[in-house]
Amino acid sequence: MADIIVIGAGLNGLVAANYLAKAGKHVLVLERRALAGGQAVTESFGAGFQADVLHAGGQLRPDIVADLDLARHGLPESTSEPLISLHPDGRQLRLTADSDSETLASIGAFSKRDAERWPDFVAFMNAAAGFLDAAYRTPMPRLPHVKLAEGLPLARLAMKLRGLGARDMFRVIRALPMSALELTEEWFESDGVRAAIGAVAVHGATLGPMSAGAGFSLMHNWLNRGGPGHRRVENGIGGLANALVAALKARGGQLRVSAPVEAVLTDDQCARGVRLASGEDILAPIVISGADPRHTLLDLVGAPDLPPEFVWATQSIKMRGSVAKVHLLTDGAHALPSGTLVVAPTVRYVERAYDAAKYGRTSLEPYLEITANGPVVSIHFQFAPYALRGAEWSQERAVLERIAIDTASNALPQLKSSIREIKSLTPLDLEKTYGLTEGDLNHGQLLLDQMLFMRPMPGWSTHKTPIDNLYLCGAGVHGGGGISGAAGRNAAAAVLRGK
Amino acid sequence: MLETLELKRTPFHERTSRLSVAQNWRRWAGYAVVGSYELSLDHEYWAIRDRAALIDVSPLMKYMIEGPDAARLLHKVTTRDIFKMGVGQVYYTGWCDEDGKLLDDGTVSRLSDQSFRMTSAEPSLRWLAMNAVGLDVKVNEVTDEMAALSLQGPKSRAVLNRCCADRLDALKYFRLMNTGISGAPVSVSRTGYTGDLGYEIWVQAEQALTIWDALMAAGADYGITPCGILAMDMARVEAGLFMVDADYTASNHAWIEGQKSSPFEMGLDWTVNLNKKGYFVGRRALEQEKKTGSAWKLVGLDVDWVGLERLFAEVGLPPQIPGMAVRASLPVMAEGKQIGYASTSTWSPVLKKYIALAHLQRPHYEPGTAVTMEVTVEHHRRHAPAKVVKLPFYDPAWKKK
Repeated sequence: MADIIVIGAGLNGLVAANYLAKAGKHVLVLERRALAGGQAVTESFGAGFQADVLHAGGQLRPDIVADLDLARHGLPESTSEPLISLHPDGRQLRLTADSDSETLASIGAFSKRDAERWPDFVAFMNAAAGFLDAAYRTPMPRLPHVKLAEGLPLARLAMKLRGLGARDMFRVIRALPMSALELTEEWFESDGVRAAIGAVAVHGATLGPMSAGAGFSLMHNWLNRGGPGHRRVENGIGGLANALVAALKARGGQLRVSAPVEAVLTDDQCARGVRLASGEDILAPIVISGADPRHTLLDLVGAPDLPPEFVWATQSIKMRGSVAKVHLLTDGAHALPSGTLVVAPTVRYVERAYDAAKYGRTSLEPYLEITANGPVVSIHFQFAPYALRGAEWSQERAVLERIAIDTASNALPQLKSSIREIKSLTPLDLEKTYGLTEGDLNHGQLLLDQMLFMRPMPGWSTHKTPIDNLYLCGAGVHGGGGISGAAGRNAAAAVLRGK
Repeated sequence: MLETLELKRTPFHERTSRLSVAQNWRRWAGYAVVGSYELSLDHEYWAIRDRAALIDVSPLMKYMIEGPDAARLLHKVTTRDIFKMGVGQVYYTGWCDEDGKLLDDGTVSRLSDQSFRMTSAEPSLRWLAMNAVGLDVKVNEVTDEMAALSLQGPKSRAVLNRCCADRLDALKYFRLMNTGISGAPVSVSRTGYTGDLGYEIWVQAEQALTIWDALMAAGADYGITPCGILAMDMARVEAGLFMVDADYTASNHAWIEGQKSSPFEMGLDWTVNLNKKGYFVGRRALEQEKKTGSAWKLVGLDVDWVGLERLFAEVGLPPQIPGMAVRASLPVMAEGKQIGYASTSTWSPVLKKYIALAHLQRPHYEPGTAVTMEVTVEHHRRHAPAKVVKLPFYDPAWKKK
């Protein structure tokens, strides 16, 4: 019998399972799909049509890689890619965290002054990301009752913030609630540069570059990417999960795929196992869920067994996904440069793309992120709101595909004629196939009021729930959002700290 | 557009307003109700204790809870085991927040397998809706649509037997039955807020006046008396029944933790079923409090008449006691230290005693403990000796017979 059941073999679930297995626990991971990885999967849609389905790249936090000794278990290499912003006039803006001469020359073509400021901006962003990284590592208190044990790590975090130096400390604090436009206006004069950074800020979020709080989401995405562009994983992002599964098995942990959990079994407000959709009950004294908090609590546990105020808070988690994916199998003649290509030429363009989502419409001129992997071209589409107004995703799919292909082909003229097959994923697909409530990749939007001690909701950022021995470890909890594994690491620590 | 700023009128207003000699109106949940029909409360009070008093209690908040999960919802909200409740039964119960502190109290009646009526003092629709998430149940507020009359007093059964389509002799304490009065369908529950024999009659608002007239006619020979809520307030203290926001603060109205009360602290131990199955709101906190004991307790205070007389004699007066229930906090002391406070105090005409409901701290809440309660003697604050007693103060044999 397992000591601990982990629901979901996403990166966070696997990271948590590994930390717990490393601590000597018998861990059983249950995955509803036939393959492990959650959002970090490389899947085949047909012969030669293999794609990184939801994320074009990513990396686990270096401390996790080291703690779990993942290099020994086949963790694939990953390489930093430049962000290349495609402009209608054919110009390309290249942004990297390295400030190499190619990057500076590219920025200089938009603005000499901006090129001069770029290295300082990168240094500032790295400092801000470093602070967030430390914050995501710090156990959050159960406000409003902060005990000494929780106060000490918080004090250390405050020291870390202070360690940024007076100037950067205030810059970071000040930038968190700012819009991406306000933040970039203070650094850059070129609208093209501002727009490209604004696009990184709103990636995966239902926000525009003029939305308050995009300063924070910029820092968050910068941290996970390690710069403006994605980190491409060699042979596909699925390799991250494969390494975690190999490491888990080496530590004696078990993984069962095609084992969807239907309910968390409880007794007297205490978890005692799970029930699979097949009707099979699997008992364990501790259950950890990598599914999003709303699904875990309201569907797997069920509102009737939870306190009403807590149910209300759970219902109030803002999910609001507005990401769609369009994968294209081409004949190889797409002529895409390598890198994270974005269609986000002006701040106004990205903001208008977001405006559509506010009103429940698919952006007619969307912000796109386009990546190529051999003959396969993957388009990340924003904004395609989960909740369409006056339309259904069953009909809107064709619209989405047309807009995505037309927009990408405008920027990349040789793309269109090279297309052989199309596989699109609407926000509804993200919910149904990948278990992402409302199609939200982050299991809860990356908003300042849903972060740190308020993630997933105020008073419950300790990974615990009102059900004893039921913990949360997915992207929706503290540390989470994006490819990093931090939430899984934090949850495992909370479980090991115990009740 | 708001046409007037008047309080709402109950379905009985046409009758009660004409009888209201004293024009002593009180506000109750947004309605105007008669405080007392006469200038003195005596006649109305004694109707409760000796005859039959007819009280308009329509402003009680009323909710219909219906559907396959209706019992499950009430099981989650209240502290009682609703799954064990039979059709036709009425439960008195409090309900708590997650910290086990009382939000309100009222009654739950099981009308059928999947249909309940709940009464409360405070608006409860949002709380019920919040608790109903994930349940197959409908909650409808029927406060305005449903009129309610309370017929209280030793002769209340005789009066009802004269005008109801069915006899009520077999209706037990805290049970309910459907019958008719003058052709109007009513449901009659053997419940009340006086601690006497009594019934509450629930009827659609359109038929309210029919019921009123029928009861007044049937009760004439028994001295039926329309009674305001001030006399009822005296009777309920005698019966040891408390009132939200007078004797305890609803936890969602409290400014600070110290203002909140648990059902144990209010002496509602008998309504808290910790053996019932499954989760209910506040369960964990109540289990904990049961283990560690309560810091406070609501008890009765019986003020020593001789001691009271002595205090007034010092200034040359006979004892002066307000002739109605007073909702004012009065300090209660023991051994020179304040150990609690009285929340409602009243002269009890039937017991000929000055009594109070009081919140006392452990260990002073044990029956028999000698304490003092503040009294104002000719503008001076004095302390009258009093004794802690069990509630209720008054419990006539015919209440449950």
